[in-house]
Amino acid sequence: MKRVLTALAFVMLAGAPASAQQQPGADVADDLPAGVAEEQITVSSTYGGSFITVFGVNPDRRGRGDIVVVLRGPNEPATVLQKRRVFGLWVNDDPVRFSEAPAFFAVLSNRPLRDIASPESIWRYQLDPAASARLASAIPAGGDPSAYRAALVRLRREQGLYQWYARGPQEGVRGGLTAYQGGLFRAVVRLPANAPIAQYHADTYLFRDGRLISRQRIPIMISRIGVERTIHDLATNMSWLYGIVTVLLALLAGWGASVLFRRP
Amino acid sequence: MIYLPIAEMPVAVLLILLVSGAVGFVSGMVGVGGGFIMTPALIFMGVPAPVAVATGASQIAATSFSGIMTQTRRKSVDWRMGLLLSIGGVVGSACGVALFERLLRLGQLDLIVSVLYLILLSGVGFLMVRESYHFWRGKPAKSVSILRRPLKTIVHNLPFRLRFPRSGLYISVLPPLGIGFAIGALSAIMGIGGGFILIPAMIYLLRMPTNVVIGTSQFQVLVIASLIVVLQSIATQTVDLVLAGLLMVGGVVGAQIGARVGAGLKAEYVRGILGALLMAASLKFLFDLVVPPEEAYVLGAGMW
Repeated sequence: MKRVLTALAFVMLAGAPASAQQQPGADVADDLPAGVAEEQITVSSTYGGSFITVFGVNPDRRGRGDIVVVLRGPNEPATVLQKRRVFGLWVNDDPVRFSEAPAFFAVLSNRPLRDIASPESIWRYQLDPAASARLASAIPAGGDPSAYRAALVRLRREQGLYQWYARGPQEGVRGGLTAYQGGLFRAVVRLPANAPIAQYHADTYLFRDGRLISRQRIPIMISRIGVERTIHDLATNMSWLYGIVTVLLALLAGWGASVLFRRP
Repeated sequence: MIYLPIAEMPVAVLLILLVSGAVGFVSGMVGVGGGFIMTPALIFMGVPAPVAVATGASQIAATSFSGIMTQTRRKSVDWRMGLLLSIGGVVGSACGVALFERLLRLGQLDLIVSVLYLILLSGVGFLMVRESYHFWRGKPAKSVSILRRPLKTIVHNLPFRLRFPRSGLYISVLPPLGIGFAIGALSAIMGIGGGFILIPAMIYLLRMPTNVVIGTSQFQVLVIASLIVVLQSIATQTVDLVLAGLLMVGGVVGAQIGARVGAGLKAEYVRGILGALLMAASLKFLFDLVVPPEEAYVLGAGMW
């Protein structure tokens, strides 16, 4: 906590870093003082997920308004299929494609989001993963587009890739948004190990009377290091060599075992 | 726990070693690669399906090579037959990869794979169990010998005949090429080595002696699995080296122990065990196809 406060003091002194991207609502000030505890997260062979801490301060002197923190992963294509019964067998219907959907999405607030922001704001500022999911193909006959969208969100939520925290941290559960004295807030998100390795963005919003007042966007880089990085780079850049190495390794393992277990 | 760089998830090292060791044990005992158990097991553990299919092939390569080493010492590999099967297999797997991608785009890959598993596992398993049962009862299976006779004449009437000294056969090269092609195509689509189909095909269709069947099938499986690992590395980049290493270690150790145990058993009983295993596995696919799913929607692979 001490570290967070020190870093927070730095953020407040230096002013908010100007790293905001072009987003809907160009009239909204990008000056919410906020920061993250770690802008770099490294993935090594012992990686088992991590926690991302976003902290900041409500610039309103009287402490009015609500803070909403969203941690977004990269937007990637996704496919959802509905199961249908044909001749007694359950088969997949035609695939429905999304040109992009967030690979990770966590939204944190002190109270339910619908009490903080209007439905229009939630959609406009993409405070819900469904709002960022863009349909790219036709829905099979008799299908409902919103059902596919809802299914995508539900399935990703079960995988821990979409998360909602509408209250402060609970007993035994790490993660949630905590408000402290003087408008100070801290948000902790559990990033599961199955979340993709990519660039993330921590977006902080200040809502008052359902309207967005101020916000801030901070990039967080998650990257591989060490052996994980070497293997991944080899697989990506020299895939033929990687394949041959894997086969040679297989032959070596097979030969080794047969020599080791040879009857004297 | 160790983090897999390509699958992008952590796995329990001991669990992977245990599972791959158990699969290796079965494969060493009866001479199949074990991909038909390994691939679904990996998917069940949460490994993404493309990674499971591609990485499983590297374990199949390792266990089959380990098996070949053992079989070579027993002089039970028919290299000439293995080579012909492999040539057919290489062409077949190339066609299979193309078909795989097409089915994936149509979203029907799951269905085709499930139905193929169901038919092949239950069909082959039933044949093996029945023969083993008849052997146990002390009389040769009549229906199987009826099945063999016409097939034998077809095999013998085809052109391009070649002598296979180790198998004691003098047959056309076309059936081995054709069988190799079919196995190669199935391997690419189903993510398996294909040994469990190849072995009965060699016994019932080519009439090869049982003692050379296992080593020869392992040779073809090795060639196809190695090819699939390299092709998948280049095309889909879904081979996970860390996972592959763990699977190989567990697989080859299990295979050696399995081969030891298998050598002391009668071949007919071994085939009966394999048959029962195949039929048990096919029930799982039948179950998934018929029972109404809890969740009506599934997530597909991102790119398609």
